[in-house]
Amino acid sequence: MTDANLSFLALCVLPIFFLIFLKLIVRPRPIKIPIKSRHVFITGGSSGIGLALARQAAAEGARVTILARDLNKLEKAKNSIRLSTGIDVNIVSVDVCDFQAVKEAVENAGPIDVLVCNQGVFVAQEIVNQDVKEIRGMIDVNLIGTINLVRAALPGMKNRSDRKPVSIAFMSSQAGQVGIYGYAAYSASKFGLRGLAEALQQEVIADDIHVSLIYPPETKTPGLAKARKTMSRLTSIITASSSEMEADEVAKKALNGIKSGCFSITCNLVGLLLSIATSGLSPQRSYLMAFVEVITVGAVRIVALCFQWSWYRAIEKWHAH
Amino acid sequence: MADIHFSYLAFGVLTFLLIFLKLIIRPHPTKIPIKSRHVFITGGSSGIGLALARQVAAEGARVTILARDRNKLEQAKNSIRLSTGIDVNILSVDVCDFQAVKEAVESAGPIDVLVCNQGVFVAQEIVNQDMKEIQGMIDVNLTGTVNLVKAALPGMKNRSDRKPVSITFMSSQAGQVGIYGYAVYLATKFGLRGLAEALQQEVIADNIHVSLIFPPETDTPGLTKAKKMMPRLTSIMAACSSAMQADEVANKALNGIKSGSFFVFCNLEGLLLSIVTAGFSPQRSYFMAFVEVIFSGLVRIGVLCVQWTWYGSIEKLHA
Repeated sequence: MTDANLSFLALCVLPIFFLIFLKLIVRPRPIKIPIKSRHVFITGGSSGIGLALARQAAAEGARVTILARDLNKLEKAKNSIRLSTGIDVNIVSVDVCDFQAVKEAVENAGPIDVLVCNQGVFVAQEIVNQDVKEIRGMIDVNLIGTINLVRAALPGMKNRSDRKPVSIAFMSSQAGQVGIYGYAAYSASKFGLRGLAEALQQEVIADDIHVSLIYPPETKTPGLAKARKTMSRLTSIITASSSEMEADEVAKKALNGIKSGCFSITCNLVGLLLSIATSGLSPQRSYLMAFVEVITVGAVRIVALCFQWSWYRAIEKWHAH
Repeated sequence: MADIHFSYLAFGVLTFLLIFLKLIIRPHPTKIPIKSRHVFITGGSSGIGLALARQVAAEGARVTILARDRNKLEQAKNSIRLSTGIDVNILSVDVCDFQAVKEAVESAGPIDVLVCNQGVFVAQEIVNQDMKEIQGMIDVNLTGTVNLVKAALPGMKNRSDRKPVSITFMSSQAGQVGIYGYAVYLATKFGLRGLAEALQQEVIADNIHVSLIFPPETDTPGLTKAKKMMPRLTSIMAACSSAMQADEVANKALNGIKSGSFFVFCNLEGLLLSIVTAGFSPQRSYFMAFVEVIFSGLVRIGVLCVQWTWYGSIEKLHA
C-alpha cells in the first residue's frame, strides 16, 4: 500500500474509531425528558422568556405553574396564555429570596417534573458606579433565589413515586459564559449558576434528575428594555457581537434542550462558539457534540482571542475620547 | 518527499499561529512591581493568606492583613515579625459589612495590590446543606469580594502614582470543575471568575490588572476543618489533584500576580484545568495562548474520561 492510501485510510477510519470511543465514554448517558402531561414549574414566568416557555409548554400538553412576585402580572400572564392556547396555568405569587415562602409554594404545587429557575434581574453598569444594594439584589435573586428553589424542590424530586426522568433547568445567559464590560455583577451571578449546575448534576444523577443550563443572548424582553435605559454605550457596542433574539425563539430552543436532557443549551451561532470554547469540565451527553468540541475547541479559542482583541480595542477607543 | 513538505507546512503554520497570537492577545502583557508597594490581603491571618503576607513582606512590600478575629491577626503579625523581622498592619473587619470594609480600606491608604483571599468552604450535598451555611459561603466568598472591590476601586482608579496595580481573587481548582458536594462553594468561585472577566474590561483603562489564583487542595486549617464533614464521594474525586503546601501556593500566586497573568495555576493539574477552561477569558501570554489552542482539544478528551470515571464512582456508590 502506498503512503497516500495509508494516510487516506487513517483519515477516514480514525474519526470513526474516535466517535465510537466517545459514544462509549460520554457521561451522564443521553436521556429524553417527556413534557406532555407532566408538571412544569417556571419561575419568573409572568413575562419575557418565562412567559414564552410557559405558553409553549402548555401548548405541548404540560401542566404548568408559573411563579413570580407580582400577582397582577401573573393574572395577566394567565389570561394571555388562556387566550392563545385555551389552557389554564396555575399562578403562585412568591419572592424567590424568601426560602420559607418558596418551600411552601413548592409543596403546595405538588410533585414537579420540570423545574425551570428562570427568574432574574439584570442591571448593566460599571461596578465602580453600581450601588452595592443593587449588586446584592442581583446575587440574591439570580443565584440565591435559584439555590432556594433547588433546596425546596429537591427532596420531593428525589423521593418521587413516578420514577420517570425529571429536569432542573437554570436560565443563564451568554453573560454567564463570558464576562463583559458593565456586566460584572450579573456575570458573577450567572457564572455562579454554572458552578452550581455542574456539581448538582453529580449529586442528583442517581435519582434520574437531569440538569440543564440555558444560555440565551440578549432577548427582546421587558427586562432588557429596562436595562437598556441605564446601560453604558460601550456595553451595547460589545454585546452587539451576538445577535438579539425573540423570547419565543429562545423558549423553543430551551424547551428542546430540556427535553433532550442537554447540559448546555445554546440558542444561536455565537452561543455555539461560546459553548464549545467554555465546554471546560462540563459534562457532555451527546457524543457528536463531544466530537465537535474536541475537534474545534482549539480553533474556537483563536476566535475567542479575536473577540477579546476587538473588545479591548473598543474599550481603548472609548477611553481615548 | 511528501513527508518533508508536510513537516515544513506544519512548521510554517505553527510559526504563523505564534506570530498571529502575539499580535492579537489582549490585554497587553504587564509587570506589577511589589517592592515598596502596598499589598492588602484579606483572610490574611492563616492559610494561604498568611503565607502570601509573609512572602510579600520579605520582598519589601508594605503589607496590611485583614481578617475577622483580632487574636489570630495578632498571632499572624507576631509570626511574620519572627520570620522576616517586618511589621505588617492588621485590620479586624468582616468583609460582609460593606461600610466597615469601606472605612478599613480608606484608613489603610492607597492600595497597589488587593488580594481578595478570604473564603469559607463546607463540602456537603446541597440537599443536606443548611441554608444559613449556604448564605454564609455566598456572603463571604462572593459578596465579600464584591464589597472589597467596590471599596478599593475608586481609590485605585484615582491614584496619583499611575504604575500598574493589581486586583487578585483567590479561587480554587474546585472553582474550575464541578465536584460532588461542592455545589455552593463552586457557585461562589465560578461567580468570582465572571466578576473578574467583566471587571478586567472595566478597569484596564486605569492600568489595573485582574488575576485569578487556582490552587488545588492546600494544607490549611480551612481544609482540615472541611475534611471532617466531607462526603466520601467528594474525597474520592478531589484526590485526583495532589494537595500542596500553603507556602508553595503563595509562591506561585505571587509570581502570577507580578506577571499580571489572568489565570494563575499552581501545579500540573492546574495547568491542564486552565487550558481546558480557557473559554473566552483573556490571555496575556502569547505562548500560553498557543498552548491553549494546540492542547485544549486533547485535554477535553481527558476531561470526558475523568467525567466517565466520576460518574462511574457515583453509580457504584448508589448501587
